Amino acid sequence: MNRVIAVYQKELLAYFRSPIAYFVVAVFLVGTGYFFAYNMFLSGSASMDETFRNMGILILTLLPLVSMRLFSGEYSGRTMELLVTLPLKTWEIVLGKYLGALTILLLMTAGTFIDLVPLYLFGNPRTTTIAAGYIGFVLLGMACIAVGQFFSSLTQNQIVAALITVPVLLSFWFIGHLQDFQASYALRSLFGYLSFAQHFADFVQGLIRSEGVLFYLIVSAIALTLNTSYLQWRR
Amino acid sequence: MNSPTAAIALESVSKRFGAKTIIHGLTFSVGKGEIVGFLGPNGAGKTTTMRMIAGFTTASSGQVTVAGYNMATRNQEAARKIGYLPEHPPLYDMLDVSQYLRFVSRVKGVPRSEIKSELDRVASACKLETVMRREIYKLSKGYRQRVGLAQALLGKPEVLLLDEPTAGLDPGQIHETREVIRSFGERHAVLLSTHILPEVTLICRRVAIINNGRLLAIDSPAGLQRASEQTNRVLLTATAPADALRAELLSLTGVTEVTMHNVPGIQDMVNVDCQTDAREGIEAAIARAVASRWDLHRLERQQPTLENIFLRYVAQAPAEGRSPA
Repeated sequence: MNRVIAVYQKELLAYFRSPIAYFVVAVFLVGTGYFFAYNMFLSGSASMDETFRNMGILILTLLPLVSMRLFSGEYSGRTMELLVTLPLKTWEIVLGKYLGALTILLLMTAGTFIDLVPLYLFGNPRTTTIAAGYIGFVLLGMACIAVGQFFSSLTQNQIVAALITVPVLLSFWFIGHLQDFQASYALRSLFGYLSFAQHFADFVQGLIRSEGVLFYLIVSAIALTLNTSYLQWRR
Repeated sequence: MNSPTAAIALESVSKRFGAKTIIHGLTFSVGKGEIVGFLGPNGAGKTTTMRMIAGFTTASSGQVTVAGYNMATRNQEAARKIGYLPEHPPLYDMLDVSQYLRFVSRVKGVPRSEIKSELDRVASACKLETVMRREIYKLSKGYRQRVGLAQALLGKPEVLLLDEPTAGLDPGQIHETREVIRSFGERHAVLLSTHILPEVTLICRRVAIINNGRLLAIDSPAGLQRASEQTNRVLLTATAPADALRAELLSLTGVTEVTMHNVPGIQDMVNVDCQTDAREGIEAAIARAVASRWDLHRLERQQPTLENIFLRYVAQAPAEGRSPA
């Protein structure tokens, strides 16, 4: 575990010594603040529902900027040769990097807590619903990072990694719309189950369903396993 | 051929990428306390071989053993014993030197309480004390190379693999780096790939020459020189009748062949090229024989440089590997 922590700390240092983390966190907080203010004052609803939905889409487009450098940066900086030849197991590299990016996600999430101040001051929101929304948001983010991290391991070009990740994540988000075009029950269920948006909608409504939790965790696990297997195969 | 105590041992190692074979059945070993130079032109397979030994890539067939561990099955254990400086120093530009070295120490399992002294040790060996707090992207090429070397030295590895460690250094830095490697090589095994031939002559006990993925020769620099066919030549200029001079020279023990050219415009003056065997003092015998009867103007003995030997091996480009000496 010591080695995972070493990789994790190296990742965090790298994030905060480059402008990308600051940029992504700033854009996310400005965006979320705007959506929050818009929903609160224009619709007059003292809840986070709409804001969570907007945050979901926003994170889908911003997290690829966080995950794109994870392996592409190692390839282009020729540091992969160091990581692979150090006494590190492949899964330790993958996990350390994943936790590093996850920390950025948690910082972004924590930054939105400021929105809760006016919400509680002027409204009467349900804390459990908000908590469920945040849990769903973090789980969604975890899946997005894992997918982005996998694509980052496929190319040495960071921009290409981000450009592949964004449409893939958006496809997972919108795939639920295909349900309406399917006559077969099996296909309808499949598209519904694969939809990032539909599981997230449950959380936003305050429902923490094990199916939803498992879904995001399984997506993350599959992406990280593919990530690890691919890196092992490359040798 | 490989001794059981060898720190690095390659046994019939081949590497294929798709249908293309890059390395053909390499067999050699590096013992403890030995510095072995790895010579070959660009594209000869030096870096690929280094990478297989370091565990960055695996051999397609054959066996690579480092510190007693088979790299195909126990590369994790072996990785703790290896210090590796790849061709391009693997540096994280956004970190400062001390953060970078700290990261590598921790991954190499240096105990937390010893990390500071370990960093001081390699910083002093590689003359990095003044740049420890500087971001790596701000460093000159020479410093970057030395940070790469410092990283390889961390954790006192048993085996040091250096892919062109002096590339980009100025003459002073090359000398210092050479001393670091030499002192390290007294106790550990070092495999050093380089283009700089004098470097090999100066610090390596043995030299391996490879081309097109085949081992052409492995021996001490002196052994390679002895084994070279064009080993020794004595060049002289004398004023003498050509036939008599030739007969005199060929009568000497050790002179195998004599070629003569008249010096243009000067009566009876000839340039002579004697092929000799490698015996000591042959030039003195020739000098005595010639000077006792005629005028000797110039005499020099030419020993093959490693450069000549290297070029000869590589130029032969044999279809099958050979291992003279």
